Amino acid sequence: MNQVAAIALNTFRETIRDRVLTVIVLFALVMIVAGLWLGSISLEQQGRMMKDFGLVAVTVFGVIVAAFIAATLVRKEVEKRTVFVLFSKPVSRAAFVVGKFLGLAATLAAVVGGMGLFLFVLTLLVGGGASGMVLVATALIYLQVLTVVAVVVFFSTVTSAILASMLGLGVFVAGQLSHNVLSLSRVGAGAITEAVSWVVFVVIPNFNAVDVKAAAVGEMTVDWGSVALWAGYLVAYMAVALAAASFVMRRKEF
Amino acid sequence: MRRPLALLAIAACVTAVVAYQVTRPARAESDPRVFVPSAQFFEDFSPSFRTSIADAYYLYMVQYYGEHVETDQRLDSMADLVDLVTRLSPRFTKAYQFGTFALLDADEGARAYAILQRGVEANPEDWGLPALAGFLVYGFGEGAEKERIAAEWYARAAAIEGSPIYLDRLAATLTAKGGEEEKAALMWAQVYADGDKYSREKAVAALDGLLPEGKEERMRAVAPLAETMPEAMFEELLAALFEDYL
Repeated sequence: MNQVAAIALNTFRETIRDRVLTVIVLFALVMIVAGLWLGSISLEQQGRMMKDFGLVAVTVFGVIVAAFIAATLVRKEVEKRTVFVLFSKPVSRAAFVVGKFLGLAATLAAVVGGMGLFLFVLTLLVGGGASGMVLVATALIYLQVLTVVAVVVFFSTVTSAILASMLGLGVFVAGQLSHNVLSLSRVGAGAITEAVSWVVFVVIPNFNAVDVKAAAVGEMTVDWGSVALWAGYLVAYMAVALAAASFVMRRKEF
Repeated sequence: MRRPLALLAIAACVTAVVAYQVTRPARAESDPRVFVPSAQFFEDFSPSFRTSIADAYYLYMVQYYGEHVETDQRLDSMADLVDLVTRLSPRFTKAYQFGTFALLDADEGARAYAILQRGVEANPEDWGLPALAGFLVYGFGEGAEKERIAAEWYARAAAIEGSPIYLDRLAATLTAKGGEEEKAALMWAQVYADGDKYSREKAVAALDGLLPEGKEERMRAVAPLAETMPEAMFEELLAALFEDYL
């Protein structure tokens, strides 16, 4: 447990100082503030525009940060050969993977949470009343971002960093469309198509199920029981992805 | 020697870019017919982002309206845009309100009515949309039944919790016998009372055309409108309607 905490703390310190992260976060904040300008041309719909476009900015930039930083977490240690020093001590491969994941999860909590809080305060000051749903939506965006991190960490153990990032982004996009895959599995275009679509549906995380951005602008009523179940599903999904990454790491020889 | 040359080249490029931006036509003539994807497409492919897409199209719709209503008066794609935005975001009441007036300018009252009916079903707790439907039917509808249908809409709006008290009176006025212009003025006053800046501008322009021109006659005609809105708002309306008389 101490090993995991030490690796996580070290990863947090390392990633939070990343200049790329600073640039992306600053850009995201600028994009959120740009919602003010969009609001001014929206015929008195400033609050709605800020919440909606702000949450999209939090999602997009959160996923970009997750995909690109997570991909280098493991690879960088291998390429710099620091992993050899680490594994010469009694540190398990699973502790290494989980520690790295938790460290980046802490960094992303600061990044995504910071952006969400910034948006909340901005809507409170300018948008004519903030909605607590902005914070809830941000928390669920964070859960999606963490799932992307877990997936990218897994991919980074089997392929290059850039490919792992791309695959992670691909999984995020596919996760938005997973219900379409489910529809495909019900089309009845053939047993093989149905079976393949069903497998794809099961493998790809369902991000729509935990997305409540629309509720922040009063567009949907949230079924909290269902959201909680799906959130649990994403946590389990992360655990499986990290377990798979640990398994691959264990089979690697350093 | 190389550095001054490089700086010169950069300066020339910057000048060229700025000159092009400054001298190109400020507003290229835009086509009034624009491609509007189906709402189903966005609902299928990005359900998590449907309200953001609706907002983006809403901003585009406002810009499209402003661009064409002041120039060629052609709003060929307005109905499709309003339909798209309201299907992606059925509870976006502002889109129905703006869309209704914009579609009236586009001479598509029937389409506005159909979209507004959908809005009423999607927002049963909002009294503004049925009231707007009543206004639309009375002001722009045709046929002998229009007063009865409009009154039904106002009665429906009045039955919704939190609706203003004058809606019941409007319903009653519509079914009573009386001058058409007085009724129309009442309808527009209701639009003024419930609307945003854009709707109010429309209402003031319409009332200006409906009310008599003489100061005394206008004062008498405008008096009953006081019942349809709070006092401070009525004073604002008076200031706008009597601007030329001051």
